[in-house]
Amino acid sequence: MELSRIEIITNNSKIEALKNAMGKYGITGMTVSQVLGCGVQFGTQEYEVEQKKEPTLLPKDLVMLVLPTKDVPAFLKFVQEELYTGHIGDGKIFVSAVTNAIRVRTGEDGLDALCQN
Amino acid sequence: MTEKKLGLPSVVATGVGVVVATSCLISLGIGSAAIGMTFIISMVIAIILNILFALSVSELNALMPNLTGGLAQYTLACMGPFISIVVMVGGYLLCNTIVGSAECAMFGNTIASVLPNIPIPGNYYSVALIIILMITNLNGVDVFAKIQNVVTYTLIGSLVIMGVLGFLKLGTGEVVAQPMILSTNFTDITSLCGLAFFLFIGSEYIVPISNRVQNARRNVPLGLIITLVVVFGMETLLVFGFHNYTAWADLGASTTPHILYGTMLLGNFGTIWMALVSICAVTGVINTIISSLAYIADGMAKINLLPKFFMKTNKKGAPYVGILIIGGIMALINATGLSTTSQLSFLILTGVVFWMVAYIVTHLNVLVLRKRLPKAPRTFKVPFGPVIPIIGSLGIVWMIYNISSDPATRISIYLTCGFIFACLTVYSVIWVKKVMKLKLFKPIPLEKVMAMENDLYHVYHNAKSGDHIPKLEK
Repeated sequence: MELSRIEIITNNSKIEALKNAMGKYGITGMTVSQVLGCGVQFGTQEYEVEQKKEPTLLPKDLVMLVLPTKDVPAFLKFVQEELYTGHIGDGKIFVSAVTNAIRVRTGEDGLDALCQN
Repeated sequence: MTEKKLGLPSVVATGVGVVVATSCLISLGIGSAAIGMTFIISMVIAIILNILFALSVSELNALMPNLTGGLAQYTLACMGPFISIVVMVGGYLLCNTIVGSAECAMFGNTIASVLPNIPIPGNYYSVALIIILMITNLNGVDVFAKIQNVVTYTLIGSLVIMGVLGFLKLGTGEVVAQPMILSTNFTDITSLCGLAFFLFIGSEYIVPISNRVQNARRNVPLGLIITLVVVFGMETLLVFGFHNYTAWADLGASTTPHILYGTMLLGNFGTIWMALVSICAVTGVINTIISSLAYIADGMAKINLLPKFFMKTNKKGAPYVGILIIGGIMALINATGLSTTSQLSFLILTGVVFWMVAYIVTHLNVLVLRKRLPKAPRTFKVPFGPVIPIIGSLGIVWMIYNISSDPATRISIYLTCGFIFACLTVYSVIWVKKVMKLKLFKPIPLEKVMAMENDLYHVYHNAKSGDHIPKLEK
């Protein structure tokens, strides 16, 4: 079965609600990193008058998880609705292909490595 | 400590509190007396169009959540500042203040008719009520919510009981033998749709409080629709009650048909009870109007459609400038004893036309954002593509055409609305060109409208030229 990696970059303030919502959705594993970054606004806050000329890195959270590719569209819709506020800084989602996944303890690979045994 | 969020019952309470008003009970009496039970068909048409509007508002709220200005902000992002000011200042602040004043005047008249031996003019009671509600609203959202729930559930309970008693012929008064239906002519039914529409308008007041609602994604759309259905159920029971206990001719001739119904149903006890229900209805409406309009004015000031002083809040977080101005105007109108019943009815129908125009603009806003942001995630989307907003808009245009069965009254309403629209147009053009310095019809980007909700936006944007960043204390 084909697998895809989802990387979600969003505001720190949203991570708790997103984590809980993903738990209810049925996601069984995720990796969260605290990162620094900026988007096309170069880190300009929505209330500021002028856009910054130099990139300003803002604290964000990066959520990484791997899913069967067939489940990705429904999951993306769910995450977008969960993160959406209409404000600048709601986040970005990146999707990429995964060639394999291996559970070190058992040696299982593919989807088996992601599911409970 | 986080603020306690409002649940679905509070959302419905807010909606029902503002939708059911004394003037609604009077409209119900007039409509029923005109064609009998077939007025329920007019009500069904009106509630369907109101539900379509509720669906459109829910989609806009999903796309631009937690906005204090509600329809004004949606319109600013879709059609630009000119229409936002004309429709929202005209459709909301002005007409609601007028309708609210009419409500208060009816409240005063009701009290004066129930207590004829006390030589106090009705408008004294009206002004006293407004002042009390201004004080409670100045004390912030908690007091507002407590009052709203108690008042609304008292009102709903009383109307349901009196409706059921009338429906089942359990009143102490004499049951009237009269035809159920006075007219089945479709033209007669449609000519009362405008009047029936007034029975349901106002549910969108839920939108400005959506940022204080628990699970707003579910509770706001659900609350809007439950509000309309609850109101329809109550009013249908009352129409049956009218048929059983009040002669159609007497009902049509009465200036206070709801009091007449109470008297005919339960004698003096019914008179006092219906008077108490009127008090509850007016209290609920005026309380919600003062609070919601102040928050809407706050939201409109945030997006620069109104002067900034509407954004000022007191220690309790209440937008006190809006509360004082809106309550003050209503008190002033009542203090001058301006209104007779016919004037009030005329003002209500005129206000309804503005309201309807605002509803049409709301439907169009949905279509504009569907075109501009087709891929934006919507937690709620009106089904069947553009069909429902289009049907909703056309239906309301048809309602405006049928605002009154009397051609002379209809023309007078159109002329009055035209004059007010002309005044608002002048204000809007001057404000947009001189103060906002924007193009009249150029929409403000959605993300900018959302950013205007942030208090820091105004700190930064109000800084003097060349000094955009506020100075921090050392």
